[in-house]
Amino acid sequence: MPPTQDASIAADPAPAPGKVLRCGECGASIVLGAYRSAVCPYCASPSVVERPAAPDLPNPVFALPFTVSKDRAVADVGRWQRRMRLFHRSFSKATIDEIKGVYLPAYLYSSVVESRYQARIGENYTETETYTTTENGKTVTRTRTVTRTEWRDLAGEHAAYATDLVVTASRGLPNAELEHIEPFDLRALRRYDPALVSGWLVEEPSLRLDECTKMARVEAQRQEGERLSAFMPGDKFMDLSFSMTVRDESIDPILVPVWVLAVRPDPAQPAVRVVANGQTAEVWGPEKVSAGKIILFIVAIVAFIAVLALIATHGRAP
Amino acid sequence: MNCVRCQTPLEESDLRCCICAHAVPAAVSGAPVTAARARILRCRECAAAISYDAERKAPRCAFCGAVMEVEEPVDPVERAELILPFAIDRASATASLRSWMRSLGWFRPGDLSSAATVEKLEPLHWAAWIFDADARVTWTADSDADSGRSDWAPHGGSARFTWRNVVVSASRGLSGKETVKLTPRYLIDGARTAAEAAGEDSARETFDTQRSAARAKIVAAIEAIAEEQLTQGSIPGRRFRNVHAAVLLERLTTRRYLLPAWVLAYRYKGSLYRSVVHGQDSSLVLGEAPVSWAKILLLVGVIAAVVVGVVALLAH
Repeated sequence: MPPTQDASIAADPAPAPGKVLRCGECGASIVLGAYRSAVCPYCASPSVVERPAAPDLPNPVFALPFTVSKDRAVADVGRWQRRMRLFHRSFSKATIDEIKGVYLPAYLYSSVVESRYQARIGENYTETETYTTTENGKTVTRTRTVTRTEWRDLAGEHAAYATDLVVTASRGLPNAELEHIEPFDLRALRRYDPALVSGWLVEEPSLRLDECTKMARVEAQRQEGERLSAFMPGDKFMDLSFSMTVRDESIDPILVPVWVLAVRPDPAQPAVRVVANGQTAEVWGPEKVSAGKIILFIVAIVAFIAVLALIATHGRAP
Repeated sequence: MNCVRCQTPLEESDLRCCICAHAVPAAVSGAPVTAARARILRCRECAAAISYDAERKAPRCAFCGAVMEVEEPVDPVERAELILPFAIDRASATASLRSWMRSLGWFRPGDLSSAATVEKLEPLHWAAWIFDADARVTWTADSDADSGRSDWAPHGGSARFTWRNVVVSASRGLSGKETVKLTPRYLIDGARTAAEAAGEDSARETFDTQRSAARAKIVAAIEAIAEEQLTQGSIPGRRFRNVHAAVLLERLTTRRYLLPAWVLAYRYKGSLYRSVVHGQDSSLVLGEAPVSWAKILLLVGVIAAVVVGVVALLAH
């Protein structure tokens, strides 16, 4: 469904962050920032930017729409916060209502992966061995069956498609953090349409395509390592190594839904961020612990045990 | 249109190739965007600006509550495209069943063919996918070839397979064993479209599977077929275990078929038995049949008597 009314913006092929657009509803000036969407602070009208693609600023090809509402995200992050409150000072002060739904720029990567591997494969066999033992004070000879492993070298090739790899295109949310809330349900994939993102924050890519491709290849290598581990024959294996090449790569810009709660406990310290998958509500946040709270927690437990012991001792006294 | 990477034909509304996940290019519509512009999505009912609603999974107007339709991911239920006609009629199917009963051997009741009464004889079109594909298969396995102290030795390699007209059953009425035996005897070239065979009287199975689930089933079946084929010449040795196949599929073409079979139920001395007669080859009959316990007891008695006789002779 196409949007129906234009607002105005300077005719740039790729508007730089900080570009000012004029609200199509009330005419107010809105700073675009690092996003391709905006909500006018005066009339609450949501705008979505359309612009020509640039090499490192492509237009989204696909989008995964939000299915987790703000109420559910607040509830799920709240549960996580209550769990973490004991150990993390930052989150006990955080206001979850400040959580924001962001369409995160990412890339969807696939390729043909071909690798050459080598490994030591262990094949078990059993042997009967005799041994001596002492029974009733006498030395006797007995037999027993023992399992041993015959190790052999195996080298070969493995070819498969690497598919469904999602890597961030945002400097704001590193790939390591995105991985914590993956996977996304790609069955809900839709071709990008401004109607899917209207009213939501839509971040522009801030990582270059070559940086994202590199990250995707690292993920493909990790996926291939997991596949090769499952591919090995024998009863066990060790020293698995492989070299991998990729061909026929495709990498398509995609918007993925993420709920983000950023907390800055101290103006001098970097923000601490909790993220939740906008499709599955999977929540992740840094599990740093507050040393003071941990010590307090241990002291409380010790004190509780001591009180119980004291009560028990006094209870038995005549 | 085919996928540019694996050459698998793409279905209408596919966003990505179902085999290799390569993105399908969008059809170009409208004039290209030459300059940046901001747009406001408006409600078609009251013209208010509207936002996407995560709960409704659609853009929704906060003022009048109108929900606007957006393009949904398409995952239709599979429907048959082609139907194979019956080549044998009801009378031939019944005759085949009688003939099959007579051929079952000495352990079956002697009067099975004459005393059995056919209670039900239904023409059935059962659902199946028939695929063509090429594949590069890399594999590992343990086999007895080159084994040492262990019974097993590890092997690895690669092979190229070409499959044409391979049947994967989608039937709920016939068992896996039955469909495996029925499939080699079908003459696939004689298929007609569902529209051409609209007037034929038969019970027709439905696929009851969405496209995405069907593709997953077909790929799983292809992997199982590849593992089976690898043990028939590619992997050295005669005994195998831990067969792992990585199948790099290319040019996977799948058609949805309905295949003919006569399903019969017959009664013999109060008990009901089920049989299947191939819909195009009357010489292939599958099914259950009673055994003659009297004959089995007679045989056991004769063997016991012979053993006793031999022991007695040896004792004397």
